[in-house]
Amino acid sequence: MAHTGRLERAVLPAAVTATLAVIGVVFYYPVATVFAEALLVGGRLTVDPLVSVLADPFYTGVAHHLVADPAGIPAGVREWVSAGFPSVDFGLFGFTAYQAALSTVASVALGLPGAYVLARFDFRGRETLRSLTIVPFVLPSILVVVGFMAMFGRTGLFNDLLGTVGLGPVEVLWTLEVVVLAHAFYNAPLVTRLVATAWESVDRQQIESARAIGASPTRAFLDVVIPVIRPALLTAAVLTFVFTFMSFPIVLALGTLELATVEVWIYARVQALDLTEAATLATLETVLSLGLIYLYLRYESRQRATTGAGRAPPRESLVVGWDTLRSPVRLAAAGYGVVVAVVFLGPLVSLLIESVTAPDGSFTTAYYEFLLAQQASTAVGTARPLPSILNSLLYGAGTLLLAVPMGVVVALLAIRGGRGSRLAETVLSAPLAVSGIVVGLGLLQAMVFGTVLFGYRLTATGRVVIVLAHAAAAYPFVTRTVAPALGGLDSRYRDAARSLGASRLRAFVDIELRLVAGAVLAGAAFAFAISVGEFDSTVLLAEGTDSYTMPVALERYVNNRSLGPNLGPATAMGTVLLAITALSFVAIDRLGGRWEQ
Amino acid sequence: MSGVTLRDVSVAFDGVPALSDVSLSVADGEFFTLVGPSGCGKTTTLRTVAGFRTPDTGVVEIAGEDATGRPPEERNVGVVFQNYALFPHMSVRENVAYGLRFRDPPGGVTTDERVADLLELVDMAGTGDRDPEALSGGQQQRIALARALAPGPDVLLLDEPLSALDARLRERLRVVIRDIQQDQGITTIYVTHDQAEALAISDRVAVIADGGVEQVGPPEEIYREPATRFVAEFVGDNNLFEGAVSAGDPPEVTIDGTTLTLPETDLASGSDLASEAGLASGRNVVLSVRPEDIAVAPRGGTATQADWTTLDATVETSEFLGDAYRLHCRWGDRTLLVKTTGDAPPDGDVTLGIDPAAVTVVDGGDDA
Repeated sequence: MAHTGRLERAVLPAAVTATLAVIGVVFYYPVATVFAEALLVGGRLTVDPLVSVLADPFYTGVAHHLVADPAGIPAGVREWVSAGFPSVDFGLFGFTAYQAALSTVASVALGLPGAYVLARFDFRGRETLRSLTIVPFVLPSILVVVGFMAMFGRTGLFNDLLGTVGLGPVEVLWTLEVVVLAHAFYNAPLVTRLVATAWESVDRQQIESARAIGASPTRAFLDVVIPVIRPALLTAAVLTFVFTFMSFPIVLALGTLELATVEVWIYARVQALDLTEAATLATLETVLSLGLIYLYLRYESRQRATTGAGRAPPRESLVVGWDTLRSPVRLAAAGYGVVVAVVFLGPLVSLLIESVTAPDGSFTTAYYEFLLAQQASTAVGTARPLPSILNSLLYGAGTLLLAVPMGVVVALLAIRGGRGSRLAETVLSAPLAVSGIVVGLGLLQAMVFGTVLFGYRLTATGRVVIVLAHAAAAYPFVTRTVAPALGGLDSRYRDAARSLGASRLRAFVDIELRLVAGAVLAGAAFAFAISVGEFDSTVLLAEGTDSYTMPVALERYVNNRSLGPNLGPATAMGTVLLAITALSFVAIDRLGGRWEQ
Repeated sequence: MSGVTLRDVSVAFDGVPALSDVSLSVADGEFFTLVGPSGCGKTTTLRTVAGFRTPDTGVVEIAGEDATGRPPEERNVGVVFQNYALFPHMSVRENVAYGLRFRDPPGGVTTDERVADLLELVDMAGTGDRDPEALSGGQQQRIALARALAPGPDVLLLDEPLSALDARLRERLRVVIRDIQQDQGITTIYVTHDQAEALAISDRVAVIADGGVEQVGPPEEIYREPATRFVAEFVGDNNLFEGAVSAGDPPEVTIDGTTLTLPETDLASGSDLASEAGLASGRNVVLSVRPEDIAVAPRGGTATQADWTTLDATVETSEFLGDAYRLHCRWGDRTLLVKTTGDAPPDGDVTLGIDPAAVTVVDGGDDA
């Protein structure tokens, strides 16, 4: 009995240790490998690769003078002024930041009205719409890419519609605008979700108190509502900037070489087997995004926490009969609804339609037959659909097995408070600021190429490493779903169980885990969906092997021109991926998954 | 022998002391209550006994053994919480049986028999298949009590078990708890912020304030002979006077020019007050007189006896309590509480009479 007690008491600390060890192996060690590749030459610390990148005008534009010839800056500025302020090229990093800034502005512009409508109005389908805002987290980005191609491509729905009225075709793909729009598609729902949640927490009594002592509605809005939603808006904007700064498949597939970002360039350097330059770029990118998140956290911690505790003001009805037409706000909301439908439904509907539409507009099953033909093909290098589906499901299951226990253990750590809680926060936040490409590159170097330990070269096969990479990307979502549920549990359940004789482990298994089972299942569905949709690191790790997944196969079909210059095979494959992703989403929604804390 | 002893127990939360050198001794089979205002440390004391919190320093003994470092599951204590903490995913029966997964039922009965016995004991027989959340608050607390008692704990710990219930139910259920405790003869530590509840059901009461023990004793002693100013103010209504002791036999204390005669013997110690060094002439003391010990009559009436102190006062407010009236009487610049029975309380100018035997000297006076 006492022996069992000791054993059981050791299980939780052991689980925490094991989880931190796995996170170390699948995330921190690989990332450190990338840093080491960039900063160590022949075992000695050096900044030469960093300097050579920073001093290269291709990467840093005019700012390369800062590194290449620090003393020459004033002269450079004088030349620039005397030349009449010609437009300045800030290089690859400058362009990446520029498109991220544009994308952030577009995401906020598209997402903020949604937050307003969700927080202040009541209408049928409001709850559904609210839960749909988590879709981007489970929608594979490569799927969004194919959706945008299906909508805006030369033979896409948009040009087909233009054609029916005798216009077009116009080329809108491969432009910065489409990349920015795709980024907004991805991140505007995040803005909507975070801001709407904050907006709903505004205390009605605070607004009424302000009004009662003489504040106008505008004044009350500025003084009461804005302070509550500002932190959420800033959080959403910073996250959007970081996400779009590191955006990969959207830029890779929707942009052209002139639109390449740092992330795409890292991928290109890896493919060119220039790992040192890739690692150097990855290091710079990671330092920049970590720095930004760090600055933001510093700012946030200095802000007074203004979360409304009271009841929010009642929502107004969005539809009020014929009077709806006389309310400018409601008409604007209706217009916004149309924009949302076009931007968010358009690409997905286009994907479905294009997968059964021949170039001449007639119905066809040719693309699905093509998938079957690919399956039967024996040619080397063919991306066959069935293995990709099986691989995706296999990796998804493997990710579940790894990410769910990891996520739950980190959640336990996070809610306990104190040092463990801060450690969990840090462990959780870092993967947010490190791109999938960087993790993939690290895993490629550390595991696929192998690590020498005690004279043995330790290597892992691609499949195992892919699951590890997916688990590293997925477990924070498990934690973010489970931690609030665990934290919301009355600690006296645990106390009661323990006083009745249950060990800490038994109390957790018998009581706490059972009470948050819904959140754990939702987290599991999240992890599965993340794994199924993961592209960035998978495309690196599956290179040249048959361990490719659905998103990777999809990307290969995008570039497959065997049926002529159309997207058909990709849209068919995309539809299959969409169906599997949709099932994950339904599971998450049914089980009450909530992304925000 | 299953008493509980705390020796010099100190607990701090993030460096802020919650308990400072608390020493208490609860006898086998005793109903012992910790009472005090919220934040005083009474729940922390209970959690230290339960093992949810390990003291920073000091020793906790349960049933004669040092249990200081033992985890809660190895202490054999039953705990009942304010919010019941019944497991919502288990039926009433599964809740009561949960502790029997880890400990054999006492008396060699089966788990099913033990559960049935306990549901019977708390008068909830036949509810075994119900969902705990389908029960009323009072019923849930009965189930929580049955669950805590099922494994036959050495000690029963109750943390504000009745605070979430309405007043009438609270009074009924505290009698149930007391009856069951007597029936089982189990050592019980009960935490409440309600001093009336503490006085009503306990063998002994410990008044806790600011992380320390103010006074320990039977309810009557706590009420009649408060050892500190805090106890005098916290337990029941009271009138407190501060003044300097003047020489004499019996000794007297002068308050705002009026002289209050002290009893010749201190009820608490039975010793002669005047001979106690602490009451030497010139020393400042705090006196307490309970409202029901002050006689009241219309001015010029006959409320007092020869050796009583009389005060001229004016009734400002009269509260009807059902079985008595509570009068707020202005005397000089003080308000005195007076409790009187009778059909109609006097109004306007009154004379108050204080029997020297009803005056208690509360510690805490300083040298003048």
